[in-house]
Amino acid sequence: MASTAHPMAVCVAVIAKENYPLFIITIPTENELKFYYTVHTSLDVVEEKISSIGKNTTEARELYLGLLYPTEDYKVYGYVTNTKVKFVLVLESTNTTLRDNDIRTMFKKLHNAYVDMLCNPFYTPGENITSRNFENIVTAMMQQD
Amino acid sequence: MSRQAARGTDIRKVNGELFTLTYGALVSQLMKDYENDEEVNKQLEKMGYNIGVRLIEDFLARANIGRCNDFRETADIISKVAFKMYLGITPVISNWSPSGDEFSLLIENNPLIDFVELPDGHNALNYSNLLTGVLKGALEMVQMDVDVRFVQDQLKGDNLTELRLKFVKRLEDAIPAGED
Amino acid sequence: MADEVLFDFLHMELVSYIHHSCVKEDNVKDTSIAKLESTGFRVGQSLIERFTKDSARFKDELDTMKFICKEFWNAIYKKQVDNLRTNHQGVYVLQDNKFKFLTQISNGKQFMESAPKYLAFPCGLLRGALSNLGVNCIVTAEVSAMPACKFQIQIQRS
Repeated sequence: MASTAHPMAVCVAVIAKENYPLFIITIPTENELKFYYTVHTSLDVVEEKISSIGKNTTEARELYLGLLYPTEDYKVYGYVTNTKVKFVLVLESTNTTLRDNDIRTMFKKLHNAYVDMLCNPFYTPGENITSRNFENIVTAMMQQD
Repeated sequence: MSRQAARGTDIRKVNGELFTLTYGALVSQLMKDYENDEEVNKQLEKMGYNIGVRLIEDFLARANIGRCNDFRETADIISKVAFKMYLGITPVISNWSPSGDEFSLLIENNPLIDFVELPDGHNALNYSNLLTGVLKGALEMVQMDVDVRFVQDQLKGDNLTELRLKFVKRLEDAIPAGED
Repeated sequence: MADEVLFDFLHMELVSYIHHSCVKEDNVKDTSIAKLESTGFRVGQSLIERFTKDSARFKDELDTMKFICKEFWNAIYKKQVDNLRTNHQGVYVLQDNKFKFLTQISNGKQFMESAPKYLAFPCGLLRGALSNLGVNCIVTAEVSAMPACKFQIQIQRS
């Protein structure tokens, strides 16, 4: 398969329930500012999806929200926990190897890592995520091919 | 142990995460209340001791075991019966001293430290120090004065957690219970 | 999985430690209960994140409450809440006829007096779980006859 020159994901962000970023990581790191904007924009779509699906009782209320929006260069995916923490994943639009189910699996992995991180008794909920374990898991997930 | 027996004991189990997180909340509270790690270690040991002196009664009632003939037998029961019963793990017994009065319990999957990442600057903290107190307290109630200390700790980058138990002396039978 | 007896002893040590750490405060009882409650709160926040990670998103407040009464209660106390009532104006009452944290304490007047300090941590667990699910509330517990217990949840809307 492809080398790590093309990462699986170019940005992963964790957003607090009050909509401020708890964690953001980008590949390459210089792109952080650019993706801040992308992630920020995606939150409106997330909110829209949450509220619209909430009204429709027949639709499955899955935590995975699917593709939030595509741009010319990127595809932005979203996921929301029952505690209203949002995960945002950005892929290059040239990345065609990942199917919807692969993305769902990546979010599940991210969610599990988030839960373990939250369970650290020395972490204060709502603070920036500085856990090395969490960062390692996310970085590995972004680069695996 | 048979499947039947294992299922029968499930009624006496609590959610592992509830236990681990409650312990974590206790340690983090102690770290807010006390300035230095040694003091936190001391408090944890003291609480463990209080637990140990009461837990032994429950243990003797449930485990249905006789008196230990020597320290090796005690080691076996601590690992295979007591740890198994209360924490669901069986530490490996190892590193016996030549005279047979000292051994190590090696723990690979210490449930107390699940999810824990120690904040920087707490190298003197023995996060799981409650265990030393529990062992000390429980053994004292069966007339054994045993010194218990941490040698290795996974939270500090070691590959496993190692508790060292050293037999000091046999206590007189008539020691007043729970003097603390 | 840890043993129940060990957990009970740990909880008792927690209660006794926090009580002693507050003896210098003006109002020992209230301060220690508040501190125990906030310890439970932090644990509840983590537990609910874990318990809901494979659940579908909750529809509304009632859906959330039902999850608390069934799944949350079951995971912690190995039984469901026996009765859930609401006045539809932001008050929910959860009744547990055999509350686990009280079955360890014997019946009797002197034990009734110590019930509040053993209920502070569970109240915190409940409030922490609800708060993390976006339900801000005040939780109080009331014991009329051991070991039955009523938890009252008062939703704070602002």
